Amino acid sequence: MDAAERSLLHETVRDALAGGRTGSGTAADAVLTELGWLEMLGAEPRDAIDIVFTTLGETNTVATALDDVVITALGIEPSADLTVVLPPFATSNFPGRITDGEVHIVGLTGARIGRVSRVVVACESDVGIQRVMVPAAAATAAAVRGVDPDGGFHLIDIHHDAVDAVPVEPAVWIDAVAAGRRAVAHQIAGACRTMLDLARTHATERVQFGRPIAKFQAVRHRLAEALVAVEALEATLIAAWDEPGPMTAALAKATAGRTARTVGAHCQQVLAGIGFTTDHPFHRYLKRTIALEGLFGSTETIVLDLGRELLAQRRVPTLIEL
Amino acid sequence: MHIADFRAKLNAWLDAHHAELAAPFAPPGTLDQRVAQMQRMKSVLFEADWMRYGWPEHVGGLGGSPMLRTELGAALAGRDLADPGLFSLIEVLAPTLIDFARPELAAEVVPRLLSGAEIWCQGFSEPGTGSDLSSLSCRAEPDGDPDTASTWRINGQKVWTSLAQYAERCVLLTRTGPADSRHRGITAFFVDMDTPGITVAPIEMINGMHEFAEVFFDDVVVPADRMLGELNGGWSVAMSILPYERSSCFWQRIAYLYRRLEMIVEVAPDDDRAAEVIGNAFLHLHMLRSRSRVTQHRLADGATLGAETSIDKVLVATGDHIVYDAARRLLPGIVEMDDSDAGEMWRTEYLYSRAATIYGGTAEVQRNIIARRLLDLGTDA
Repeated sequence: MDAAERSLLHETVRDALAGGRTGSGTAADAVLTELGWLEMLGAEPRDAIDIVFTTLGETNTVATALDDVVITALGIEPSADLTVVLPPFATSNFPGRITDGEVHIVGLTGARIGRVSRVVVACESDVGIQRVMVPAAAATAAAVRGVDPDGGFHLIDIHHDAVDAVPVEPAVWIDAVAAGRRAVAHQIAGACRTMLDLARTHATERVQFGRPIAKFQAVRHRLAEALVAVEALEATLIAAWDEPGPMTAALAKATAGRTARTVGAHCQQVLAGIGFTTDHPFHRYLKRTIALEGLFGSTETIVLDLGRELLAQRRVPTLIEL
Repeated sequence: MHIADFRAKLNAWLDAHHAELAAPFAPPGTLDQRVAQMQRMKSVLFEADWMRYGWPEHVGGLGGSPMLRTELGAALAGRDLADPGLFSLIEVLAPTLIDFARPELAAEVVPRLLSGAEIWCQGFSEPGTGSDLSSLSCRAEPDGDPDTASTWRINGQKVWTSLAQYAERCVLLTRTGPADSRHRGITAFFVDMDTPGITVAPIEMINGMHEFAEVFFDDVVVPADRMLGELNGGWSVAMSILPYERSSCFWQRIAYLYRRLEMIVEVAPDDDRAAEVIGNAFLHLHMLRSRSRVTQHRLADGATLGAETSIDKVLVATGDHIVYDAARRLLPGIVEMDDSDAGEMWRTEYLYSRAATIYGGTAEVQRNIIARRLLDLGTDA
């Protein structure tokens, strides 16, 4: 896809998703299906994931496309009838553990859990990593209110026979985590763009002391700081696709988490009173990024893991070249 | 040559010739030692053609993308063979001559800069002109009519002129329009530093080095054919440097910061506190490197770099602080109480790193540019 095609597709997806802010994700899922999301994911995963997740972030839309990204990375054909269990919040641990022929699963899912018949789970076991398919009926799924009640998140607890366990290479799970991290980082980047846009508009319209607050250097510098963070995040996402691998994906996701905090804090301060209310849309974006930041590991755990890895190797890899 | 091939060949050559290129003293050395070492290394690299890639043929280069010379600078910085602050001065001086000097002058002098035969300096800042460059007042008066004058007479003062005490030449910005003409009344000259009337007074920096100097011009006579660009066209000469300063120079600086973080990682304690500090610094350097890479690809694709490079500048300056702060946190005493060569190196560089948010446009000026030009917030008046 060239730049013009990408831009056109982005516009199409944005128009199609505008206003679809339901917690169940059914409306947005239908729109994405209509647009050929799964075909795009198969044929041009980079453009598909970049555009769809950026737009989900920008428009604060709930969909269940993340399931398809992770399921594909696990080596399975995605389907509307299949969901995947994500690692427990703020970790990248295996959601499943197989012992004595039984699988015990603790983790998160998106909104799709309410309308599927099967659930796929990556599990650790004494004989290595295994992929298990369990009936959705076996799952105890509790919709999470949490910080983002509209986000469609569910806490999952499953005890089931580990029938049909398929051994998978460790690299498969590492790739699935990397794929999930890239997608979530795009979504956070999209949300950050909108938060900045909302704060920027407010700063040019809100008048105090006889002038728009955008004229005050303290306000301008906060918005500048937010833009630096967003643009840096977008650059790490380009790097994560140009040199795909667990480390560039981890760096993009951790950058996304940190950027969300920077942008959230500065924009909320600029929005001041109105940003503290639910009358203004800002709160939805802020809450969504707070929730997304914990998927596939928190910013703190990813940063700590990266630091440990560098210390173990006693070197600092440059990862990307000109 | 494809850039990846060039990088591979360059690295193989640098591996094989490390001993020949390396400094014969322990870092940091005195400034005299460092400057002499840099010039010696440049002559070896020019002799072996590496200093010629990415420069146009008509100034002694071998052509090819400017990214080739960026690769060279980064490889040298990453191997601790060159201090990018000094080495990358080439990137803010040679392009000015290539783009704005008479072709014969550029062909004569640029090879002397590249080969280490000469050092040049950049006379931009003045005591009354820090971030606000267009307010400069160092005066150039024509000998007669400005359009036909054969010489110009220069009076005034420059400051923060890097390596002026070593320099054979100076790229100088002067006021040729009325005092209040701002960026419309500035003209650039290429001045020989041995011209009568030039006095250089080195400044001792916070780290004890004398990298900068004050330069005084007292009735200094310069031939008119040393004018760079148009009369009163000096602002575009000054601005033309920005794309090089914000791409190649940054990439070299980034390579150096990776190497400095690696030096910390090599000896830091293997615990979670260190892992957190290192992880955070690594995250920032990766952000910065990712951004700089995007910028350089845009430049290579023909884009004109402008205000958006203020974002790169903010990230580089912050990165400088983060890496040297990490050294203080993880190598306790190395900056504060260590008189060994290693301590001297970290102390000198730590103290220098505090200038990263000041030189090349302060952190505040960058944020003003981002607000006005990139966020379109209008003027702040």
